[in-house]
Amino acid sequence: MPRYTARQYRRSMLLLMAIYLPLMLLEWPHVRQITSLPLKCVLTLLPTLPVIGVIWLIGKRIARSDELEQRVHLIALGAATGVVSVLSLIGGFLSAAHVIELDGDVLIWVFPVLCLVYSITQIALQRRYGVHGCD
Amino acid sequence: MKNRVRELRETRGWSQGDLGEELDVSRQTINAIETGKYDPSLPLAFRIAKLFRLSIESIFEPGK
Repeated sequence: MPRYTARQYRRSMLLLMAIYLPLMLLEWPHVRQITSLPLKCVLTLLPTLPVIGVIWLIGKRIARSDELEQRVHLIALGAATGVVSVLSLIGGFLSAAHVIELDGDVLIWVFPVLCLVYSITQIALQRRYGVHGCD
Repeated sequence: MKNRVRELRETRGWSQGDLGEELDVSRQTINAIETGKYDPSLPLAFRIAKLFRLSIESIFEPGK
C-alpha cells in the first residue's frame, strides 16, 4: 500500500472542511425553524457526512503510515480517548447527581475535544521522537 | 539502542529520504532511528540489514 503523505492528508482534510464549515455556518443555524420533520432530520445530520469523511481520512492515514507514525497515532488516539472518556464520565456523574445541568448539545463537543487532544498529543510525541516537520 | 545506520547510509551517499524510500518509511522515521530516539521493529531491522547486506547485530547493538 503506498504511503499517504501529510501533504495529501492536509489537502483532503481542507476539502472536507470546505464542505463542513459552510454547512455549519450557513445551513445549520436555520435548522430549528424548519417544520417538516424528515427535512429537518436530513439537514440536521448533513454536517455529519464530512465528519465521517474526516474519520475515514484519519483511518486511511494511519493504515498507510510507517511503524513509528502508527505508534504516534496509536498513543495520541489512546490519550484522546482517555481524556474524552474521563470528561464524559465526570460530566455524566455531575449531571446525574444534579450538581450541574447538561443538555444533549454538549455531545457536539465530543469529537472536537477528541481531535484537539489527539493533535496536542501527536505534536508532543513528534517532538519526543524528533519527527516534527512532516513530509 | 545504538546503531550504525547513519554511518552506513552516508557511506553509500544516500540522504535520509533515499533510505526512507528504499525501506518504505518516512524520512522522519529514519532520522528517529539514526538519532536513537526510536528502535525499529524486528521486521524493519531485518529490512535495514538486508539492504546493507549485513547482519542485524553488526548494525544494532544494545545500549548501556
